[in-house]
Amino acid sequence: MTAGGPWDELHDEHGHPRPAAQEVMAVVERLGVEELRARQASATADILTMGITFTVYSDGANIDRAWPFDVIPRVIEATEWRRIERGLVQRLRALNMFIDDVYNDQRIIEDGVFPADVLADSANYREECRGVHPRFGVWAHICGSDLVRDADGTMYVLEDNLRVPSGVSYVLENRAVAKRAFPEVFARQTIAPVDAYTDELNKLLSSLAPEGITQPAIAVLTPGIFNSAYFEHSFLAQRMGATLVEGNDLVVSQGDRVFMRTIDGLEPVDVIYRRIDDLSLDPEVFNPESVLGVRGLMRSWKAGKVGIANAPGAGVADDKVVYAWVPDMIRFYLDEEPLIPNVPTYRCLYEDERRFVLDNARELVLKPANESGGYGILIGNRATDAQLREHVRKVEEAPRNWVAQPILDLSTAPTLCGDHIAPRHVDLRPFILSGESSYVTAGGLTRVALPQGSLVVNSSQGGGSKDTWIVDLGASWGSY
Amino acid sequence: MLLSRVAERIYWAARYMERAEDTARIVRTHGELLADLPPTARVRWEPLVMIMGSGTRYTQSQADGRQQQSQTHAADGHAAEELGVVTFLVTDRVNPGSVASCVFAARENLRTTRDTLPREAWIVLNDVSLYVGSEAERSADRRRRDRFLSRVIADSRRLDGVLDTAMTHDEAYVMWRLGRAIERADMTTRVLGVRAAAVLELRAATSPVEGVDDHDEVQWMGVLRSLSGLQAYQRAVRGPIEGPKVVEFLLQHPRFPRAVRGLLREMRMALAELPDPGTAFDAVDRIDTQLHDAVAASADGAALDAAMDALQVTIGDLDERISARYLRLGQ
Repeated sequence: MTAGGPWDELHDEHGHPRPAAQEVMAVVERLGVEELRARQASATADILTMGITFTVYSDGANIDRAWPFDVIPRVIEATEWRRIERGLVQRLRALNMFIDDVYNDQRIIEDGVFPADVLADSANYREECRGVHPRFGVWAHICGSDLVRDADGTMYVLEDNLRVPSGVSYVLENRAVAKRAFPEVFARQTIAPVDAYTDELNKLLSSLAPEGITQPAIAVLTPGIFNSAYFEHSFLAQRMGATLVEGNDLVVSQGDRVFMRTIDGLEPVDVIYRRIDDLSLDPEVFNPESVLGVRGLMRSWKAGKVGIANAPGAGVADDKVVYAWVPDMIRFYLDEEPLIPNVPTYRCLYEDERRFVLDNARELVLKPANESGGYGILIGNRATDAQLREHVRKVEEAPRNWVAQPILDLSTAPTLCGDHIAPRHVDLRPFILSGESSYVTAGGLTRVALPQGSLVVNSSQGGGSKDTWIVDLGASWGSY
Repeated sequence: MLLSRVAERIYWAARYMERAEDTARIVRTHGELLADLPPTARVRWEPLVMIMGSGTRYTQSQADGRQQQSQTHAADGHAAEELGVVTFLVTDRVNPGSVASCVFAARENLRTTRDTLPREAWIVLNDVSLYVGSEAERSADRRRRDRFLSRVIADSRRLDGVLDTAMTHDEAYVMWRLGRAIERADMTTRVLGVRAAAVLELRAATSPVEGVDDHDEVQWMGVLRSLSGLQAYQRAVRGPIEGPKVVEFLLQHPRFPRAVRGLLREMRMALAELPDPGTAFDAVDRIDTQLHDAVAASADGAALDAAMDALQVTIGDLDERISARYLRLGQ
């Protein structure tokens, strides 16, 4: 949005490394591109051997691809990070209160802060969840919020993924690989560890067990090997000592409890970390054709016989239209000002905002309300006339389904591109755990758009990743 | 606690890995054996295809002309046969029993059970699978073959080692051992049924005029080597290498881990740790009984072959009972 070009995460406007990045950039410089390429190659080999993969659907087949990783880390100074952390916790508190409210008293609608018809039209609102009170009032236990930084250095929340956000396993794996690639920097600096996540997740899931169960049996419910995040499902189960299950491993039986089919008969399951959509969860209530879910699961959950994370229906707040109201939610429920701003968002369902969007479509990003993975998005200044006309037609047809935002000049980070280092656009997905208390990953998943000038960071569309370092400068002075 | 679906995948991963290792060893040993025999010896490569029970598929693959190119390059008929058989048994991805296919199948099965096994185990299997993927094509060639096959054998054992030392010896581990033992027993009977029977036949048919012998001892050594049993045989039998004694050793030795009786012990130990094995034990007992009849047949090639077929049927029945009891619940 400014003339000075994008913000660089590691360099200031004079091209000097920012304080937190000095150590790593000094090493990068000392090593030279050849040695850096050698380290990149060995990191890539590590990723291949460790079997760190993601699955892409291509040419009619699912292919397990090595996870794309750039060896140069993205660095954030700890004091800035602590502020972001507080902002994310604040945001999730409000979002969870919102979800709990819309499925119960609907105070926010009664008070005229949130329009009833937006809720009624939400594709992710589940009437079946009305009147349910999950423990701690928390519905979205695991959230991955996408943060982007504009040219002036402001960090925005771009979207909140409250359904089945993925990527956290790569945060942990990227760190394992980065430690091998830059052992000298880890030795000299205080870089916040990321490994605690799975333990925190395990504690959170355990806290969702039905009353009276002290050592709950936790299952990670995966759609199966062909899902793009299968690697992550198995990774998380493995790290937590949980059981990785598919729908047909489970059955709801005596007393509405959930059981797994083991070689020794049926064994109870107390908590399910589900990685399948709401609509696939239970053919008895949702999509009757679903073979991924478990018949009777909703009955069991409503009766308090099993904990489910994220709670069915939590996706109601994961809607790019509802997103526009999050700052209002923070004010309404917490009586606080948002610590991290939203990207300004035009809601096409309002005639005046729609008019503005259609008149200025070239300068905006058009986003469908309920898609994920970057699909369906139109970046106005890069679209052909035909694409633009097509999207204008779609907006006019179903205005509720569209929002628009200014085209942000996403920040960049130096990235190894073949035989040279060049800036590439990045975003950041931290993961926020909410239960009795909250936890935020130290940093998160930095995704990088590898083609020059590209703004698309999704790994399903050719994006790469970087390790994210939260560097505590105060704590590292001692080692100099 | 072990999910039935996971049990099934571990069991099959174990069988595939064992099959890959055993096939690799049989091919490697056969190459070494042939190097020791004079060019006039009547030992060929095609019986190896029979061991794997893939005769029809092999004929089909030859007819399909998949080996056409290799055959044009081959210097003579013998070399062509060797290349055809080795390609089929080691690198052919269309043959589900080839070393490469078995390694890939083992990996696919373990890929879906990664949460149950130690991470190092997955790394070993993934690593050998990548190696097989990149090297298999070139490994039909005699000079590269040995290194390739040895790597597969070593990694298969490394995988066993990792599981033995880094995995809780729980039901999942027991399932792995059971899969290994059943496949191994099956393979021992196949080697005996085809290779040993062929040597016995050959000896019976050899007239004194044709030659002194067909290097009987060398051939029996080959049979033992193809089952990693030469040293163990020598320690156990302490005498010359003779056909009937080799057969008896490979069937009856109670402690040798590739002798069928030794494997029955392993199967019983594994089953004892699983919930209610029921009729699976009966199948093991029947294999035991059949072993006696088989040893009695050890001097006659055709009878030995038939006895081995009968054993394989009972081993198949054991597999069926294990599947029905543990592996197909809820399907």
